[in-house]
Amino acid sequence: MDSTTEALINLGLPLLLLVATYFTGSMVERRHYLSIRARELETRQLPAITFRTPPRRWEISDSGLVSGSVVISVDYFKRFLAGLRQFVGGRVKSYETILDRARREAVLRLKAEAAAAGYAAVINVRLETARMANGRSGNGIAGLEVLAYGTGIKLRHGAP
Amino acid sequence: MKFDPTLPDDGANVSATHPLREAATLIVGIAIAAVVVFVVLTAAVELLLPHISPALEARIFSRPEVVSAIVPDIQESRDSRTAEVARLLDRLAGHWPDNPHSLRVAIIDDETPNAYAFPGGLVAVTTGLLAEVASDNELAFVLAHEVGHFRNRDHLRGLGRGLAFALVVGVFGIGGSAGAAELAGAAGLLAAAGFSRDQESAADGFGLALVQAEYGHVGGAVKFFERLPKPDNAIEREIEGYLSTHPLSAERIDAMWALMRERGWPSDGPLLPLAAGLAAPTPGE
Amino acid sequence: MIHSNTETVPGKEIVQFYGVVSGSTVRAKHIGRDIMASLKNIVGGELKGYTELLQEARNDALVRMTEQAESLGANAVVNVRFSTSSIAQGAAELFAYGTAVRVE
Repeated sequence: MDSTTEALINLGLPLLLLVATYFTGSMVERRHYLSIRARELETRQLPAITFRTPPRRWEISDSGLVSGSVVISVDYFKRFLAGLRQFVGGRVKSYETILDRARREAVLRLKAEAAAAGYAAVINVRLETARMANGRSGNGIAGLEVLAYGTGIKLRHGAP
Repeated sequence: MKFDPTLPDDGANVSATHPLREAATLIVGIAIAAVVVFVVLTAAVELLLPHISPALEARIFSRPEVVSAIVPDIQESRDSRTAEVARLLDRLAGHWPDNPHSLRVAIIDDETPNAYAFPGGLVAVTTGLLAEVASDNELAFVLAHEVGHFRNRDHLRGLGRGLAFALVVGVFGIGGSAGAAELAGAAGLLAAAGFSRDQESAADGFGLALVQAEYGHVGGAVKFFERLPKPDNAIEREIEGYLSTHPLSAERIDAMWALMRERGWPSDGPLLPLAAGLAAPTPGE
Repeated sequence: MIHSNTETVPGKEIVQFYGVVSGSTVRAKHIGRDIMASLKNIVGGELKGYTELLQEARNDALVRMTEQAESLGANAVVNVRFSTSSIAQGAAELFAYGTAVRVE
């Protein structure tokens, strides 16, 4: 193989990958957002709040720990953008949607678990974010993990 | 305390900039920054060059560990040819009155006809070149051209530029993806090749002058260049021009003809045969 | 907008509560600062560049959280929590969240 073809392949493959992952990445993201918004509307009657103690007038009959978690991957295009952003500093915008999606998804799963268990509200909600590392050095990013957890409570008088 | 199930504004945690716009701004900005850094570094090399005397250069590059770090892994052939090439080189360099370098010769085992000027006064020719030359005069011009690079200090300039380039790619390659570094690498290689055009022509001029002084005519010099097989495509020629010392462009050959006419150097004359030790190599020194 | 990391806003009463509001941001310093920080790391001491980075990120996150609370018509966020995570080397991720409420 002569050097020109080699250079073209070395340059062309990453470029092709960038273009392809831009399209697949935005498609996946658009779909995920549609689903998140729909489910947020469905579950909005179930409060998930950070209060450590429930409001005084609630009469609680039962409670239990509930959680929801998700790992969302970072596509090649977003990693490329983030890599460039590291040079100049400022907001790493390409990771914002990943974090936003992961946190909303985790809360939605927390609410789904609470609803399935018959809880009317979740209090003392906490969110933890972690990076799933990859690569030999462990500096790479394979995905973002978000865990949402809280205490589900059952009320004597139905909805809050 | 009542519960209000309204959902908050869902766009607050995401910037409104379109990803493609962000990509374009970043790529253009970083590319400009990389070019600026490279230009500043090469300008610094130019400023530094006059302060590195040939004596200092010889001291630095006499250390084998320095040479082995800079000169690529040479598969050296050592036989009667080394001595013959060195003899011819000495004759030519004798016409450069205040030559501060003590020149050495190495023969690289490589099919491609090529010659190099390495820091420290090392002139390297490939076995491919020795097989290609038909007369003493032809080989003389190639060697004289390399001597011209030493006189113009292109060998140090090339080294400085190479280091500047490696630094830029190193700094702008980390953090970004391999693709970005690759892109920058190819662009810089082409840019560096563009710069060396003038240096090649200057070395041609000096080389012709040495050949004229040695033989009384410059016959064989241009003819040899015209005879060499031309690389097939533009990119390869550019890279060849950067790495080696002979981009075989028509412009360069035209420039040589123009110089020969201007100085009145005869373009024809009797060609001397190759020395016996070159035509039929014998092993050993 | 009142921010508090206790259950209540001292001296006021919560009359209405909404859901969780949050603000998050990922920020990086330019490469020069990263290089300086890695040099500073050898001798020790405060990494001013990164302290600044975290402050900027925290402000950013609070502003975004406040935006969400305002969009609900809330006038306070109680039980605010901050969490940081390392998403990429040299980038700080700050996340602020709390419960949006109306106080009187």
